[in-house]
Amino acid sequence: MSSKETTPISKQLQQSYEQMFENNRAWAAAQSAKDPNYFKVLAEGQSPDYLFIGCSDSRIPAEQVTGLQPGEAFVHRNIANVICNTDLSAMSVINYAVRHLHVKRIIVFGHYGCGGVQAAMKPQDLGLLNPWLRNIRDVYRLHEDELNAISDATARYNRLVELNVVEQCRNVIKTAAIQQSYAANGFPVVSGWVFGLHNGLIKDLEIDFEATLKDVQKIYNLTS
Amino acid sequence: MQDRFTTALQANKEWAARTAQEYPDLFPSLANGQSPEILWIGCSDSRCPETVVLGLKPGDVFVHRNIANILHAGDLSSGAVIEYAVRHLRVNHIVLSGHTKCGGIAAALGNKQLGILDPWLLPLRQIREQNLPLLQTLSPEDATVKMAELNVREGVKLLKSKGVVLEAMQERGLQVHGLIYDVACGMLRDIDTKDSEDEIKRRLVAFKTEA
Repeated sequence: MSSKETTPISKQLQQSYEQMFENNRAWAAAQSAKDPNYFKVLAEGQSPDYLFIGCSDSRIPAEQVTGLQPGEAFVHRNIANVICNTDLSAMSVINYAVRHLHVKRIIVFGHYGCGGVQAAMKPQDLGLLNPWLRNIRDVYRLHEDELNAISDATARYNRLVELNVVEQCRNVIKTAAIQQSYAANGFPVVSGWVFGLHNGLIKDLEIDFEATLKDVQKIYNLTS
Repeated sequence: MQDRFTTALQANKEWAARTAQEYPDLFPSLANGQSPEILWIGCSDSRCPETVVLGLKPGDVFVHRNIANILHAGDLSSGAVIEYAVRHLRVNHIVLSGHTKCGGIAAALGNKQLGILDPWLLPLRQIREQNLPLLQTLSPEDATVKMAELNVREGVKLLKSKGVVLEAMQERGLQVHGLIYDVACGMLRDIDTKDSEDEIKRRLVAFKTEA
């Protein structure tokens, strides 16, 4: 341990780290008290019905806001819930969730007030973040006419958040894993949700999965 | 299926109403921005919901979750998360958490071809190769736990080789921790990843970069 780690700030940080273990012990004890078999069942394996692809933003813990219990939702979280076809991380998550866990529904879970979406539209060089946020600029370009017609800046930004979710749903649907599983089993279906930070409520964008799949497959058909 | 979907949306309405009542300041403050103290990097496994397990609330933990909490040096997804969390949100802790009964680790301890997952899991196979004699003396269950620990150690090492992390460690005392979450009891266990003075010196010589 370096001498630096004994300064007051590091002592305070150490305490906040130790607090995490205290909170965790209290949570684990409360679950066992409610149901003595709680962890025994979880230890046997997972068979989640959902895959959530959400933003890394600290304000949207998917399980808490949907009441889903441990074991119910497989979760991938990155900056601005982007699904890029050359991103091995997201592609591996989708592949594993669909082919191995056989999830029934995939939810792309965006949120209003997304810092990533906002940053993507600034005329600014953000270094390492540039290639990642480029995906969101592409969403803007695809919907340029609609977005430019919205005069209110907040309303335009909110709409970009929604359109980003819609486009990322399309990107999920472009994968071979989803197309083949859906053809064989009738699942998973893909939904797009947007979370409102001001009231904690989810808006379902009611994406027509069948129609989107059909449209996507005109070019991106990977079923055989 | 439709029923379970509707249930989750209904549960959200109830959660929002209950939360607004219990913590009247929470949503107004969330709408103003985030200032999480912790970046959590963990596995996508459904049994490891970080914010719940940590007994924390919305706004407390910035989160990246991927298959088997693997950190690849060239992975832009985790790279962008770390950059944003450390440089822009200025988190005080990075917590890299592995867990017991990890499917990704079980896969890397087997020899089945898995398509697109193979390149993703490759770092786990490298760990397997480097520790083969040790892993072969262990029961399958102990081997997966050992692999989970070794994977976290590798990840912590990689985190501490990133310029943005090194800089924040030196300048403002950012802490990097390694954990294992035991899904069979719900408890987090710290893995000691502290470095010797010599390791710190070598790391700075090799990885510290200047503007």
